[in-house]
Amino acid sequence: MPRLEAVSKRYGRGRWILQDVDVEIPAGSVVAFAGGNGSGKSTLLRMVVGLSKPTRGAVTGRPAVVSYVPDRFSPNERMSPLAYLTHMGRIRGMGTHAASSRAHHLLDRLALVGGKDAELRTLSKGNAQKVALAQAVLVQPQLLVLDEPWSGLDASAHGVLAEIMTEVSGAGGAVAFTDHRESVTRAHASQTYTVKQGRVTLRGPEAVVQRYAVTAVALGMPGHGGVPQEVEWGTIAGVLSVAARGPGALLVEVEQDHADALLLVALRTGWSVVDVTRAARSHRVQDSVAGGNAR
Amino acid sequence: MIALIRYSFATVLHTQRYLAPVLLFAGLLGVLTVNGSGPLPPAYASSGGALFICATWLTIALTSLDDPAQRSIVVVSAGRSLKVLIGSISTLLISCLVLMVVGLVFPLWVGSYDVRAVDLLLGVEAQLTCAFTGVAIGVLCSRLVFRRQGYALVAALGLVMVLLFVEGLPPVNRLFTMMATSSDSAELLAPAGGMMALATALLVAAAAVTQYLASLKE
Repeated sequence: MPRLEAVSKRYGRGRWILQDVDVEIPAGSVVAFAGGNGSGKSTLLRMVVGLSKPTRGAVTGRPAVVSYVPDRFSPNERMSPLAYLTHMGRIRGMGTHAASSRAHHLLDRLALVGGKDAELRTLSKGNAQKVALAQAVLVQPQLLVLDEPWSGLDASAHGVLAEIMTEVSGAGGAVAFTDHRESVTRAHASQTYTVKQGRVTLRGPEAVVQRYAVTAVALGMPGHGGVPQEVEWGTIAGVLSVAARGPGALLVEVEQDHADALLLVALRTGWSVVDVTRAARSHRVQDSVAGGNAR
Repeated sequence: MIALIRYSFATVLHTQRYLAPVLLFAGLLGVLTVNGSGPLPPAYASSGGALFICATWLTIALTSLDDPAQRSIVVVSAGRSLKVLIGSISTLLISCLVLMVVGLVFPLWVGSYDVRAVDLLLGVEAQLTCAFTGVAIGVLCSRLVFRRQGYALVAALGLVMVLLFVEGLPPVNRLFTMMATSSDSAELLAPAGGMMALATALLVAAAAVTQYLASLKE
């Protein structure tokens, strides 16, 4: 699967658009490149699919069947989407009939509005984007590269796009896409690279999530009419939270290891134990592993 | 390759961008050969010249059709950009073959020439020479090399003028000079064949240079 090794790119004598990029897109993965406008994401993708050659470094391991969805697809073309897709299928080596029925199927699945037989140039941006997406999966690609695929597509097509990406990666293919919104890359990618000022860095896990077991203890007034003592619950080891649940009722959450000690204190001070339940809590540790450099 | 050629033909036929160069060809052919008489070679030199200009224009029109995103999809689908370029050139050569037949037959139909088989053969050689050279110039002046259409047009016009009118410059001008001055077609077959070979080499070189320059820009 494709691997960029120490890749740098500039056009002519212009500024360096990308510098020392090391990226791998493993089989079965969905890799996202997040970055602002003009950060070099598109140039990076063009080198991944082989449209553009790196000025320095090398791109190796590109598979045979590659598909590419450019960010703007607005052909000034009188051909219909169906005819266009049939041509693209034939260029990929399909028979006319197979290409045409596959095109029908994909356009139905993506819910193309504006007609399969309308002229391509009359399609809206979103519908043209659907045609661009359809041409990429006429033949199951081993490497699917999409430049800003979420922009322009309507909500129903978002679901299909996510399905298509999952299908390709599930079949052992590699998927790479760009987006400028981190929420999108986080939701769909197994790995995210950040592209900024010509540098590409692999982002670590979004935030390290710690999970641990918690015991929730519900305390109440004793039945015999006694009044429990005041206790500074927060000072007891392992207590995570204390919440009042109505008059004379408390819910104390404590780490499981410290539950027995807490119960002992509660009983000694005259509280009645109403309920003890186990729960799991997760806790986000922000940036505990800062995104290491991809190299 | 056949799929690429079919796609090229489909796009060019849909856009009708072929109309202007083809009309120019028809116009030149009409003006230069109607009511002609005498030996055929000078008439075929005229239809060759018409085909030369038409082939250049047609090539620029066809190679500039696809918008960049559309072209990138075709290149990725086909696997290599060279394959797409060869597909375009093949499409153009097939179109030129059709025009060549018109260029060969039309003078016979509208004029009263002395027709011999060897004249027809010379005509084929001359027209192929012009078609190859025209496509070569067109490819070099296409959007793959020139991003600005204005510069491409000026460059193409300049090259066409140079090849047509610089005296003795092979292949086009030298060929036309030979055909205008000699009326013995059999004698011209070998030198015209040489010009055709030169034109073929020019086309291959132009395609290679275009591919190289285009890859630098990517």
